[in-house]
Amino acid sequence: MNLHLRLDALRNARDTLLQQPLATLLTVLALAIVLALPVGLFTALNNLQLLLGQWRDQAQISLYLHNDASAADVAKLRARIEHSTGVVAVHYISRAQALADFEHSAGMQAAVDVLGENPLPASLVVEINPLAQSSADLDAQVQSWAKEPVVASAQSDLHWVARLQAILALGTRAVWILALLLALGAVLVMGNTIRLHIAQRRDEIDIASLVGATRSFIRRPFLYQGLIQGLLAGALAWAVVAVAILSLQGPVDRLAALYGTHFTLVGLRPEQGLALIAISAFLGWLGSRIAVGRHLDHTFS
Amino acid sequence: MIEFINVTKHYPGRRHVLREINLRLPKGEMVLLTGPSGAGKSTLLKLLTRLEDVSHGTLMVGGVDLATLKRRHIPAYRRRVGVVFQDHKLLMDRDVYNNVALTLKVAGVPARQIESRVRAALEKVGLGDRLRELPATLSGGEQQRVGIARAIVHTPEILLADEPTGNLDPALSDEILDLFRDFHRHGTTVLVATHDARQIARLGLPALHLEQGRLHAPKEFS
Repeated sequence: MNLHLRLDALRNARDTLLQQPLATLLTVLALAIVLALPVGLFTALNNLQLLLGQWRDQAQISLYLHNDASAADVAKLRARIEHSTGVVAVHYISRAQALADFEHSAGMQAAVDVLGENPLPASLVVEINPLAQSSADLDAQVQSWAKEPVVASAQSDLHWVARLQAILALGTRAVWILALLLALGAVLVMGNTIRLHIAQRRDEIDIASLVGATRSFIRRPFLYQGLIQGLLAGALAWAVVAVAILSLQGPVDRLAALYGTHFTLVGLRPEQGLALIAISAFLGWLGSRIAVGRHLDHTFS
Repeated sequence: MIEFINVTKHYPGRRHVLREINLRLPKGEMVLLTGPSGAGKSTLLKLLTRLEDVSHGTLMVGGVDLATLKRRHIPAYRRRVGVVFQDHKLLMDRDVYNNVALTLKVAGVPARQIESRVRAALEKVGLGDRLRELPATLSGGEQQRVGIARAIVHTPEILLADEPTGNLDPALSDEILDLFRDFHRHGTTVLVATHDARQIARLGLPALHLEQGRLHAPKEFS
């Protein structure tokens, strides 16, 4: 295949799009909106996961230690736990510190005085990222820590982790279904646009066919049209999501401040943005391919 | 060599357009295809360009059996044929140069050869100085000459013309048909469909006459 023919088809596609700037703009906008919607939802879901991943106050596991556990054994266990999946931090709470915290937080000074000795065990408090692994794996991990010789008992409330993960999985699945439907919509939008271009250029197609043009020769400018519009729509969708993230950051900052925290919204990474453009270009190409293929089946029959 | 062997063409639910056509047209011949409107002249040319399939019989062109030619091989076959239409079939948004260059582009001719060949073809039809003009700015005769340049720019083995002078005045018609005779002198097989009695008489060429789908050909072509 001669390069000059491909360049010729590319120029042909570009000129066709530029000759009808409004129609081209509307098609690109429609495609961009169709793409921005699922991408925006994926981004929102990603930010939600990041936010929940930081929700460590509620994702703690307490491992209560035997009173006769040696400091060396406790240190070894702590080191092992620190290297486990999803563990963000491990804090050692000595018996004395536990008692001090108890007295301070519960106002139980008098009761403790009656006991005469410290009844509280030392413990390891493990902070985890609740989304780093499945709830089943997390449960199994806690069970294995509970069986350690130095551990007397483990306390955790991980039911909410399972519920949270189920909700997120549901959201992810819903967004995927929406994305697939909208991708189909993008293909249909492009296919319809190209069908209109084909109708406008029917004479040209027929004449080219008469002088011996192959299907690929006739098809190529239309495929490039779909590709170019898909590329532009992908870039525009990326920009739309980026602008949405920027405009939401202010309200998020104010909301986070009310909870005494800080959260920075994350947009698409460069490789994700480029993947969006590539997928969009592919959808544009695919829509064109289907539309022009159907027409050529008729022309060459 | 163009060879029709018992070729019949009919459309579903309609009468036969061509009946039992038998014809042997040697390479390098120039013949006229005559007959009244509706006699089947255009259909016969459409069979030769593989725009229509034969219903029965065998149609061989340069060793290719058009009746069994696979769809994917049609473009390559069409690049061996040049076709001139009564209504020119030019791309009105492309200039003269690009209308003619289309034939070479679809044939995959290298870019560096296209310009010289297009210029040569347009020189032959007397339009060497009109390269960048749009068809709409040309007269009917000039548009037809662009169509002829497009049909011969790739030096086809066979040149087919369907009523090429139908919309032209007598002087222009003479010019156009003289062009065809010129290509014929250079070895191209030329088949011109016409019902112009004046031209038929003036040219004095062998004529194949179609009447109600039946072909009456001189003995040397039967």
